[in-house]
Amino acid sequence: MLYLILKQAVHTSIFKEAAVKTRILSVMLIFSIVLMAVPAVGAQGDETVITWWTEVGTVPTNLQEVFIDPWNAAHPGYRLEIIEKEDLEAVLRTTIAAGEAPDILQTAGASYIAEFVKAGLVQPLDDYAEQWDWADKLLPWAYETGFIGGTLYSVPLTYESMILMYNRTLFEEHGWTPPTNLEEFTALAEAAEAAGIHPMVYGNANWQPSNEQVVGVYLNNVAGPQNVYAALIGEKPWTDPEFVEALELLQTHIADNGWFSGSLENYFATGWDDYWAELPTGEAAMMMTGTWAFYMTFSFDEAGTEWDWAPLPIFNDRAGEYNYELATGSTLSINAVSPNADVAADVINYLLSDPARVLELSSTKQFGEYMVPLHYTEEDFPADTDERLIRFFSDFAEVTGEGRFGYTTWTFWPAGPNVQLWQEIELVWFGEMSIEDYLARHQAEWDAARAAGLELAVPAPAGVE
Amino acid sequence: MTATALQQEAQRAKRRQQIGGWLFVAPVLLLNLIVVVIPSAIGLGMAFTDWSGVGSMNFIGLANFQRLFQDGVFFKALTHNLLWTAFFLIVPVALGLLGAYLLSGIKRGQMFFRVAYFIPYVIAAVVNTQLWRYLLNPRVGIGPALSQCCGIEFLNVPVFGSRDLALLGVAFVDMWHFWGFLLVLYLAAMSGVDIELYEVARLDGAGRWAQFRHVTLPSIRPTLVFTILMITIWSGLVFDYVFIITGGGPANASEVMGTLLYTTAFQRFEAGYAAAIGIFMALWVAIATGGFVLLRKLGWEV
Repeated sequence: MLYLILKQAVHTSIFKEAAVKTRILSVMLIFSIVLMAVPAVGAQGDETVITWWTEVGTVPTNLQEVFIDPWNAAHPGYRLEIIEKEDLEAVLRTTIAAGEAPDILQTAGASYIAEFVKAGLVQPLDDYAEQWDWADKLLPWAYETGFIGGTLYSVPLTYESMILMYNRTLFEEHGWTPPTNLEEFTALAEAAEAAGIHPMVYGNANWQPSNEQVVGVYLNNVAGPQNVYAALIGEKPWTDPEFVEALELLQTHIADNGWFSGSLENYFATGWDDYWAELPTGEAAMMMTGTWAFYMTFSFDEAGTEWDWAPLPIFNDRAGEYNYELATGSTLSINAVSPNADVAADVINYLLSDPARVLELSSTKQFGEYMVPLHYTEEDFPADTDERLIRFFSDFAEVTGEGRFGYTTWTFWPAGPNVQLWQEIELVWFGEMSIEDYLARHQAEWDAARAAGLELAVPAPAGVE
Repeated sequence: MTATALQQEAQRAKRRQQIGGWLFVAPVLLLNLIVVVIPSAIGLGMAFTDWSGVGSMNFIGLANFQRLFQDGVFFKALTHNLLWTAFFLIVPVALGLLGAYLLSGIKRGQMFFRVAYFIPYVIAAVVNTQLWRYLLNPRVGIGPALSQCCGIEFLNVPVFGSRDLALLGVAFVDMWHFWGFLLVLYLAAMSGVDIELYEVARLDGAGRWAQFRHVTLPSIRPTLVFTILMITIWSGLVFDYVFIITGGGPANASEVMGTLLYTTAFQRFEAGYAAAIGIFMALWVAIATGGFVLLRKLGWEV
């Protein structure tokens, strides 16, 4: 078609010389053939390609030899391609709307997949889960997060939690111990300040939604997991006094006392590089962070100091004993229009079926990425695994197994309330919005999300029927 | 051959030429239709729906626009775009003009300065922003360094974390990379000014300021007006530097329409509402371009 148009143009226009005309037409013909040939290139070969796009920078360095190659070898006629994509979320949204998304959909969490499910773009996984016993393979709470409206649509690719990471060398020098309650936390923060040390380092200069991690900690550890659970399932309004109290305490710590990086302004100007400079060097004592931070602990080696972690302090007796917040870092689903859905499910099952293989993959990221929530024993971990990491995963399994867990916003909040939570909290911190107004707006966002059917599955903590 | 036949042959030749012309521009028009006209029409249509970005969409009339007019964050963002425009129409334009005028008098080493000032413009935004993040870092940046060594305190503030300074700080970084571009444009325009005009002005006793005002400025007016138009348009569409450095924060202190649109579409999953914001951004561009066209119609040499 293109060739015909160009040919007509040549005949009717300025190229009157026969030799010039012939040469131009030849070039155009070749160009047209090349253009026509381009789409055919991807269709060559007998192999069926199973595609999976993943977030750039999160991929284990041994993914090819430990996962892709063995899967390919076990599945003749198929080839698994895992491709890293920058800003995966935006890319996926565009391509899925155009019907061009990969077979396996990786999203940043349950609240993201809910939008795709609502649009009918995701394959139900119940049959596969039954066929391969995924309910037994995955940790119960993690398996449950994949349900929307009673149907399984995703499984977690990685799980994580919030912890208190601290500079152990600094703590030993000052005779400090990790705080377990508000009193100890306050005393430690004041002691650190008196010594010219930031009690904590954190900020959102690189990632504005970091706010949600901080807010989530205070909601869980002041209001308590039972109250958060009740609000998540719609049995308690977010405007209740327990949540007001949680945000008031956060306001005191972050805005009034400046315990996060020295001041509220510093919090907004502090990024990842600053965390990993301040904490290992002892400029800051602690950091409330996610377990993805394990990957960066080599910064302590460079600074010649030691790190350690502890469960987050409980700020109010109603929150009970210490607990761990539940979080899935990424989810895996199957594209509703994938012509290879069964094979894509087989890829997911391959990942869920061998804890040792997952740990081998995840060990290259210090168990901060690709840490599929399976049932691990200490023996499953590679022999050279740091004791502090094994201690976390063992304790996490035991404590959450007893139902002592809290909730992360990026796993259990639908997109609307979630964005409002981390965006408008900045107005609260700067005194431009009252906590009461903020929570009323949060409740309104939840009401809208519920009306739109975007509620996510929430496991009940201990003590709740 | 009769005169009529010759006339008909000439008309046929003209028609062939016209068809040829259209065929040559057809691919470009087709491309324009596919990547500009159709997406714009779809975007316009989306603004009247509740589309989340995936799945089905429902027509909701003017609801998105009603919400927009009640959205305090949108008006904050719009105000920031206006402030941004004012800043860019004054500071980099003044710097560009001044720099170009001073450089135009230099015979040796002019190329060095041209290149030096232009380099930030060709460096990727992500590199420039990272550079300034370090320079203005409250822990290891210029501010704490000056404070420690010389007791100078006014820069020892977390610029990007401050509600009062964040927008200005981002605008400064963007301006730093941009003004060299204006300088090169103005310098090129100034090199085309007839040297005799300056000689005549000097004979009439004009000083350097008078020469600049009465000879240089009128002579480079088309370039100047063009840059003003482009700055006005770009200021309405600004996104990258704000998004990378502050993401619109803290507390919407540096929010612009572009970042608000992005958050609305890609984080809140409200593509329909985001499209309504996009309509306003398009309106901004239309008004700026309309002003330019009006000036031409009024006989301005722009």
